[in-house]
Amino acid sequence: MTYMSRLLASAALATAFAVPAFAEDVTIAQTSAINTLDPHGSASVGLDLSVLSHIYPTLILRAPDYSLQPSLATKWEAVDDLTWKFTLHPGATFENGEPLDADTVAWNIKRVTDKEHPTRISSWFSQVSGVNVISPTEFEIKTSTPYPALPAQLSMFMLLPPKWTADHNPVTETMSGFLYKVSDYVPGDHITLVPNEKYWGEKKAQFDHVTFRVIPETASRIAALMAGEVDLINKVPTNELKRIDDSGKAHAGSVDSTRSVFIKFNTEKPPMDNKKFRQALNYAVDKDLIADALFDGKATVSTCQVMTPDYFGYNPDLKPYAYDPAKAKELIKESGVDLSQPIEFELPTSTYLQGEEVTQAVAQMFQDVGVKTDIQSMEFGTYLDKYRKAHDLGRLSLLGQAWPTMDADGLLTLFKPGNQYSYWNDKAFDEQLVAGNGTTDEAKRKEAYKKATEIMCDEAPVVFLYAQPATYGYSDRVKYTPRGDDWMRAFDMTPAQ
Amino acid sequence: MKHFFRDLCRSKAGLFGAVLLAIIVLLALFAPLLHLPDPTRGDLRARLAGPTWSGLFSPGAHPLGTDEVGRDILSRLIHGSRMTLMVASTAVVLGGIVGTFLGILAGYKGGLVDRILMRLVDIQLAIPLMLLALLVVAALGPSITNVVLVLALTSWIRYARIIRAQVLSLREREFVQSARAIGASTLRIMFLHILPNVLTPALVVGTLELARVIIMDAALSFLGLGVQPPTPSWGRMLADGRVYLSSAWWTVTFPGLAIVLTVLSVNLFGDWLRDYFDPKTRSAK
Repeated sequence: MTYMSRLLASAALATAFAVPAFAEDVTIAQTSAINTLDPHGSASVGLDLSVLSHIYPTLILRAPDYSLQPSLATKWEAVDDLTWKFTLHPGATFENGEPLDADTVAWNIKRVTDKEHPTRISSWFSQVSGVNVISPTEFEIKTSTPYPALPAQLSMFMLLPPKWTADHNPVTETMSGFLYKVSDYVPGDHITLVPNEKYWGEKKAQFDHVTFRVIPETASRIAALMAGEVDLINKVPTNELKRIDDSGKAHAGSVDSTRSVFIKFNTEKPPMDNKKFRQALNYAVDKDLIADALFDGKATVSTCQVMTPDYFGYNPDLKPYAYDPAKAKELIKESGVDLSQPIEFELPTSTYLQGEEVTQAVAQMFQDVGVKTDIQSMEFGTYLDKYRKAHDLGRLSLLGQAWPTMDADGLLTLFKPGNQYSYWNDKAFDEQLVAGNGTTDEAKRKEAYKKATEIMCDEAPVVFLYAQPATYGYSDRVKYTPRGDDWMRAFDMTPAQ
Repeated sequence: MKHFFRDLCRSKAGLFGAVLLAIIVLLALFAPLLHLPDPTRGDLRARLAGPTWSGLFSPGAHPLGTDEVGRDILSRLIHGSRMTLMVASTAVVLGGIVGTFLGILAGYKGGLVDRILMRLVDIQLAIPLMLLALLVVAALGPSITNVVLVLALTSWIRYARIIRAQVLSLREREFVQSARAIGASTLRIMFLHILPNVLTPALVVGTLELARVIIMDAALSFLGLGVQPPTPSWGRMLADGRVYLSSAWWTVTFPGLAIVLTVLSVNLFGDWLRDYFDPKTRSAK
C-alpha cells in the first residue's frame, strides 16, 4: 500500500468512527491561553484551574449550585476550632498506579507550604500548620488559627503524584488522577483531553474529547459558537445574549457572578484620603443607569459592600449610596478638595466585562459633579504589576474582585490594613476582621462581618458599583448549568442526547 | 500655479484625491463651528442606536448612530479627524525637518558623516517600524506627544535616504561649485543653495509618508497606545466597536471608512504630485 492510499484509508476510517462519536465531543472556548500545567502554579480559576481540574483530583468539588461535594474526600468535619478531619475514597490511584492516599495529600500540602519554595497558591495555606496522617484513608489538617473556609479553599487545590513529580516537570507535563487525561496540547492554541480509563470514582467521563480552545476576541467567540465550532463560551456582552438565544443555534444568558466590580481608591494618595470626597464620588455615580443601560439590567447593583449575597458574611441590611449629584457637589465643597487637576483613572483593558464602557460612563458622571479624570488604559499585566509589585496604584482604578471560597474572610482580607492589596488603612475595620477570623462560631463571625461591612460602607474605600454578570452561551449539543464563580468544566455539562 | 491646477484637473485620480482631502481637512478645521454633539459625552440610554436619517437636523439625531456609551459617531469621526490629522501632519513635518537636514548633511558632507548616518538609517530600517513604535510608546507611556515623536522617528529615514541621493548630484552642479569657489560657508550652501532644490522631493515624500503615518497612528490607537478615551480617535473607535461588530455594524464601519478614505485621498494626491514634479513624466504630457 502506498503512503498516500494508507493516508486516505486511515482518514476514511477516522471519519467513519468520528461521525457517530461527534455528539460526545465538547469544545470550550477560553479567553486567553493557559499559562502553566502545574495546578499549584496558578490561582486563576476561570483559566488554568478550570482545565487542570479535569486532570488532577481535588479533595472536594464545588457544584454549580456552589455546594461542596465529595470527590477524593468522601467525608470531612471540623474536630475542633483548629483541626479538620478528612476521610478519603479507598483505592484511588493516579494513572501510573501511584496511590492517591493520605500520604499523597500530605506531600501536596507540604509542597505548597514549603517556605523555601513558595508556589503561587501558598497564601491559601498560610494558616495550615501541619498534616496528621492517621491511616491511608484518614488524615487531619491542623491550622494555627481557626480556618472555617478550609474545605471551600480545598475545592481549588489539586493533587500531584509525588513520585512522578520527582522526575517530571509538572509545568509542562501531566499525569492524570481524575476523569480526563491530556491527548494533545498546543500551547497558546488548544488542549484536548480524553477520558482517563484508570479513573477510580463513580463519576463517568461524559465526553470522548474535551477541547479547550483559545479565542481572545469576543466577536470571534460568538461567531464560533453560532457556527457550531465551540459548545461553551463566556464573557459575552449582555446586549449580544438575546441575539444568540434567538438564533436557535445556541442558548445564552447570564447569572449573577460572585465578582464585584468597583472603582478602587488609593487612599494613600491625597485627595483620596478624604472620606467626604470618597463618599461624594459614591453619590455621583448612577449605579442603576449603568446596570440598566450598559448591562441591560443583567448586572445587580452592589449594596454598599463588595460581597454578593452568595458570600458567607454578606450584610443584607446595607443599602447602596443613592444617586444624588447635588449632594455629591455639596460634599465635595465641604471636603475642600482642589479639583483643578485631573485625577488619573486606571483601566485594565479587556479584563472585565464591558469594563472600558463602565470606566467612560463613570468618568462622565464624575465630570458632571466637577471631578476631572484622566483615563489611562493599560494591559491587565501592567496593571497588576502596579497593583501588586510596585504598590503604586493610580488614585482611581477599575477593579473587580471575587474570592472563590465565597467567604468574607477571603474577600474582605483584600482590604485589610497591612495587606499589599488594601491601599486603605482602617483600624476599626481591621479589628472586626480579626474578630471574624478568630472563631468558627458562625453567629459570632456573621456579627463581626456585619460590623466590618458597615464600616466599609461608611468609609467608602471604593465606589461600589455592581456584581458583574456571568454571561455565557452554550450550544444545543450540550446541557449546561450556568454558574457565577468562573469554573468552566466539561463535567458540569452533559451531552444533550 | 496656474499649471498646477490645470494639470490637476486633467488627472481624474489626482483631482478626486485632492478634493476628498480638502473636504476632510476643512471638516476637521471647522469642526467646532458645525454644532455637533459633544464627542466625549454620551447618553447611556441611547447606546448602540443605529443610523437614523429622519429629523437629521434635530438635536437628538445620530446620522451615523451612536457608540457603546451612547456618543454620536459622526461627531466623534469629525473630531477624531482633527486628532488624526494633527498627529499625523505634525509627525510628518517633524520627521521631514529632521530627515531633510540629515539627508543634506550626509549628501553634502559625505565621508564619515555620510557613512554613520546611512548606517543609522540601515539599522532602523532593519527593525520593524511597528515594533519600534510599540516599544517606545509602551515604555514612555501613551500620550499624544509620545505618539507624535514615535511616528516622526519612524518617518525621518525615508526623507534622509531620498534627499541624500538628490544632494549627491546637486553638489557637483555648477551653482554649488561656484558658491564654494567664492567662499560661501558650508551652512550657507546647504541652506541657501541646496535646500530650495530638495524641497520638491521632500514634499512628495511627505505626502506619501502622511498616508503611512495615518495608518500607523490608527494602529497604535487600536492597540490602546494612542490617545486615551474619551478623546475620540479612529483607531480606538475601531477597537472599542469590534465587540459589537455583528450586532452594531456602524460602530466599526464608519471609522474604518474614514481611515480608508483619508489614506486613499492622500495617496492619490501624493501620487499625482510625484508625477507632476517628475520632469520625465511631465515632459511626456
